Amino acid sequence: MTDVLGIVMFVVGGVLFVLVSLTVGRLFRPRRPGQLKGEIYECGEPTVGKGQVQFDLRFYVVAMLFVIFDVEIALLYPWAQVFRQFPKAAFWDLAFFVGLLLVGYAFAWRYGYLDWTRPRAGGQADDDAQTPEQER
Amino acid sequence: MTALDLQALLPLVLTTATAIAVMIAVTITRRHGLAAWLCAAGLAAAIASIASARECAPRHISDLLVIDSFARFYSGLILAGSLVVAVLSYGYLKLRTDRHEEYYILLPLAAVGSLVIVCSANLLAFLLGLELLSICLFALIAYRRTGRGDLEAAVKYLILAGASSAFAVFGAALIYADRGSLAFGPPGLALSSPVALAGIAALLVGVGFKLALVPFHFWTPDVYQGAPAPIAGFIATVSKGAVFALALRYLSTENLLADGRIIWLLTAIAAASMLAGNLLALRQDNVKRMLAYSSIAHVGYLLIALLASASLGRPAAAIYLTAYFLASLGAFGVVGALSQPTRDADALADYRGLAWRRPFLAFTLTAMLLSLAGLPLTAGFVGKLSLVFSGVSSALWLLLSALVLGSVISIFYYLRLLAALFATPPASEPAISSPNTPWPTTAALLFLTVALLAIGLWPAPLLDLIQKMAVAAW
Amino acid sequence: MTELWLIPALPLAGFLLLLIGPSLGRRASSLIGAGSVGASFLVCLFTAWSFAGKPITQTLWHWFTVSNLSVDVALRVDQLSLVMILVVTGVGFLIHLYSLGYMAGDDAFSRFLAYMDLFVAFMLTLVLGDTLLTLFVGWEGVGLCSYLLIGFWYRDPSNGRAARKAFLVTRVGDTAFTIALFILATKFHTLNIEAILTACQAWPVGSALAVTVAGLLLGGALGKSAQLPLQVWLPDAMAGPTPVSALIHAATMVTAGAYLIARMFPLFQLAPDVLQLVAAIGASTLVLAGLSACVQRDIKRVLAYSTISQIGYMFLALGVGAPSAAMFHLVTHAFFKALLFLGAGAVIHALGNQQDLFKMGGLRKALPATFWTFLIGSAALVALPPTGGFASKDLILELTWASAPGARWLWAMGVFGAFLTAYYTARMFALAFFGPPHSHVHHKPGPVMIVPLILLAAGSLLTAALDWPGPLGGAPFFSHFLAPLFPVSDAHEVSASLASILQASSLASALAGIVTATLAFRRFSPSVSPDRPSPLVRFLLSGCGFDSLYNLLFIRPFLFLTRLNRNDILDSFYTALAWVAGLFHRGLSRSQTGQVRWYAFALALGAVILLAVMVLL
Repeated sequence: MTDVLGIVMFVVGGVLFVLVSLTVGRLFRPRRPGQLKGEIYECGEPTVGKGQVQFDLRFYVVAMLFVIFDVEIALLYPWAQVFRQFPKAAFWDLAFFVGLLLVGYAFAWRYGYLDWTRPRAGGQADDDAQTPEQER
Repeated sequence: MTALDLQALLPLVLTTATAIAVMIAVTITRRHGLAAWLCAAGLAAAIASIASARECAPRHISDLLVIDSFARFYSGLILAGSLVVAVLSYGYLKLRTDRHEEYYILLPLAAVGSLVIVCSANLLAFLLGLELLSICLFALIAYRRTGRGDLEAAVKYLILAGASSAFAVFGAALIYADRGSLAFGPPGLALSSPVALAGIAALLVGVGFKLALVPFHFWTPDVYQGAPAPIAGFIATVSKGAVFALALRYLSTENLLADGRIIWLLTAIAAASMLAGNLLALRQDNVKRMLAYSSIAHVGYLLIALLASASLGRPAAAIYLTAYFLASLGAFGVVGALSQPTRDADALADYRGLAWRRPFLAFTLTAMLLSLAGLPLTAGFVGKLSLVFSGVSSALWLLLSALVLGSVISIFYYLRLLAALFATPPASEPAISSPNTPWPTTAALLFLTVALLAIGLWPAPLLDLIQKMAVAAW
Repeated sequence: MTELWLIPALPLAGFLLLLIGPSLGRRASSLIGAGSVGASFLVCLFTAWSFAGKPITQTLWHWFTVSNLSVDVALRVDQLSLVMILVVTGVGFLIHLYSLGYMAGDDAFSRFLAYMDLFVAFMLTLVLGDTLLTLFVGWEGVGLCSYLLIGFWYRDPSNGRAARKAFLVTRVGDTAFTIALFILATKFHTLNIEAILTACQAWPVGSALAVTVAGLLLGGALGKSAQLPLQVWLPDAMAGPTPVSALIHAATMVTAGAYLIARMFPLFQLAPDVLQLVAAIGASTLVLAGLSACVQRDIKRVLAYSTISQIGYMFLALGVGAPSAAMFHLVTHAFFKALLFLGAGAVIHALGNQQDLFKMGGLRKALPATFWTFLIGSAALVALPPTGGFASKDLILELTWASAPGARWLWAMGVFGAFLTAYYTARMFALAFFGPPHSHVHHKPGPVMIVPLILLAAGSLLTAALDWPGPLGGAPFFSHFLAPLFPVSDAHEVSASLASILQASSLASALAGIVTATLAFRRFSPSVSPDRPSPLVRFLLSGCGFDSLYNLLFIRPFLFLTRLNRNDILDSFYTALAWVAGLFHRGLSRSQTGQVRWYAFALALGAVILLAVMVLL
């Protein structure tokens, strides 16, 4: 029961904290609403266009590729640490891992995911590659 | 990692290797047939490896996985289901998108995720498998990219699956906080600790989402409707079957049914799922949505096996799941086989008079629907019978009455579709002129129908197998 | 001979092949339809030839085990079933042959043969069944085939009505039969006939259980064999094609009741009261049905009532403790009644579906072969020497006389029945074959129809030799053959002089009947008959008013109840259920908005509820 009480007190305390701090601010700050205050960037930069723009899909591809190889680096460090203890097994383990990534790399390369302006690589198939080129 | 470990792990290894092999093949050359056959052959080899690994006793592989006969049975079910999906997908994709090959990388990977879930002996492994399965499914659901429905479905699934996974991870963290370990018991969880209880509740959210149980079921119809028909079948069967097997294992290793609250919650969820699923399906004119709703109800029925005594509940769950796999895959297979390149045949009107135009498909669908309705001579009847049996032996009267009520309601919408199948065809041109069925699809549907009827007529071999495999202690 | 299964399997295979339907062609259909029964007959002959007096049992497979009741599917041949299978396949084959000609013009030719084959298969299962359950399968199967064949020309609703009537009335008897099966199964934990007959000997004679079981079995037999009070279906069953009437409603199926009683005779002997009831029912049925037969105008209805009456004789024989005489009459009756039906069929066929006796006449010249064979059949029905009918009916009357002191009444009824038989037979014969012709002969029967008639006529004569009365220089082969099952008791011995007196009296009554009928109908012309028959004739025409009685007793009250419940009180519950389900469906469907926002909210809400229940409760 004491546990539950603790949780309840925590929840109540959290809610109270937010409400109290907002109320205190409201009590002290001046209120002068106006056009300028409604701007998105109050610091002076005028906004251009809408907030909801679609990013080029290629950014995501690049980001994904980066994450994958980033993870590889993250794994390489502990591997290097233990390499001296299990030289053989550790070598093959990592070789297998890197090999897998290489397959993916080859796949990405083959179908032009490494090129910013993608050729219609592999010939037939990439209908999502058309948008950026045609727009340009 | 010994050779025996490797042998036990062979199904997982082979399935993973299948994905890699397809990827290599695709890198070299884009050929739909090659990718499909490679995928099917790999999955078949993985199924074969389960049979060959029969002699392995329960093996713990690191702390994460355990390969016992229970895991092997459900692995077999999952791989067989994936194989059928792969075969059905071949005919389905041929007509549709122009890039087929990556599909056959994602499908075995999703199967690997399911296998990991089934074999997990640790919440970490479960979460890994869950994520692998989910990520592959996002891509697979949106694979056609022809209409708006599929992207919408994928995004919905992405958001909601992400949210539910967050709950599952949170639950695992709470349990770790309470206990200092993510491995499944024994000893069972200390059910007195509120932290552990909160963890279980959060885990239940994740599991309930994947099983599409009330109140986590809302995504189901939208996603099934948007997904390609074979993938809808995959979500309905493989994904649910894997998570259900995990739930079965977790519940009994942690001895969670000792707690009245959990029983109460599961009972409420099961009854609500049975009733809500069937009621939602009642007048549904979209066949895919109808099947989605009915799948909610079916998992609700399955929970009876979860709550019943282990000696009867476990075999009942295995039998029911097998029957449900056959019938659901068959039903979605027929939907896929009837579908046009531009849209799936999901309107009830598409099925009007099908028996006179496509007798084989109509017959298959009839068998599947009768099995889903649990009528005698089909596997569904055997499944439902053993389910009821297990429920009776554990005196789950509330759930059983919900089951009976739900079944009565369900007959209505199954028969509604059946009546449409055998109605006189409209005088005008049929609503859709469906393409000819490619032979692999025919073969897969024939296999499902024969298996369905064989189990319905002569269930003894399956029951023996299940007694031997799905019931063994862990 | 261990290939007993072939006997029912061959017609069954014929049925399955014929299911393919009209695409087979007429020639192939004929070959399969009649050939399968013929082949089965050959197997029966071979079985009979190799039969050494000891029963042969063949267990085909284990059927099921329910707690301590274990049932096999087994066939058994003993003296009784051997006689039956020979009759069924032999007469059945001839009728099949005949129907090839009779049904040649019908569109549903192969469907007809398929049903007939199925019937033969079930009939053989019935008589060969080693367990009562196997027998019951055949029993219900022949009922089904009877239903299908009575309603064979289903485009006419009245045929369908007749089929339903036959099915429902026999169902009344079958219910009793089923209850008897349940009692036996619970008492003895077996349904094997031999085992039951052995085990029931432990019951004292006249014990309540024996009387109950025997009475219930009798109920089943009454329904199947169209005896009082369940005889009402058989006259209407004549709606089927004539070969059907010959095979099912004369020669084989309707005698299944007599067969059942003979089969279970040791059990019936433990219930003397029931046996007396059997005899009483048989005697009253034979008189009532004979009276009805005397006034019918439809030739097939005459024969139908005659069949009921003749089966009455069989029941009489069973009731007085002479099952072998009953079986003998069954055999001879199968021949001559099949012959008469087929002959009637030939007449009907020749006159273009004319069944009214008053519109026939003078066919003696036009259809000579039919005339002569019909004459032999009629003689056998009337029981004139030297036909089989004489031998068997005489044996029954003699044994009835001798059975017990009180049985003289039964004997007297039997003799009166013989008079009636002679009367209606002679009337029918005179109306059809003598006098001025009233109808034109369309086409004469071909050889495929005539040959079975001749063979059946020969059979009607030759069966006499099976059990020709001793005083007339014969020997009781048939009774001796059945003696292992039904021992000949000395009590039934009648002195030669008495036997001759009995024979003479029954013969005299038969001759009296013939003379009466001949005088009345020799010069008969339809214009003489009054348009409005007298009340007595109308009463007899309607089969002694049983139909109206049942209509009043059962059908009216039942219809009254259904009318009361026209809007189905129970159904309103289900309607309400459907309505509530629809309501919930609409309500729940609102929750499927398709908006992720709401779905995510529901997910979170569910999570909160789960957490609250787990943590706070």
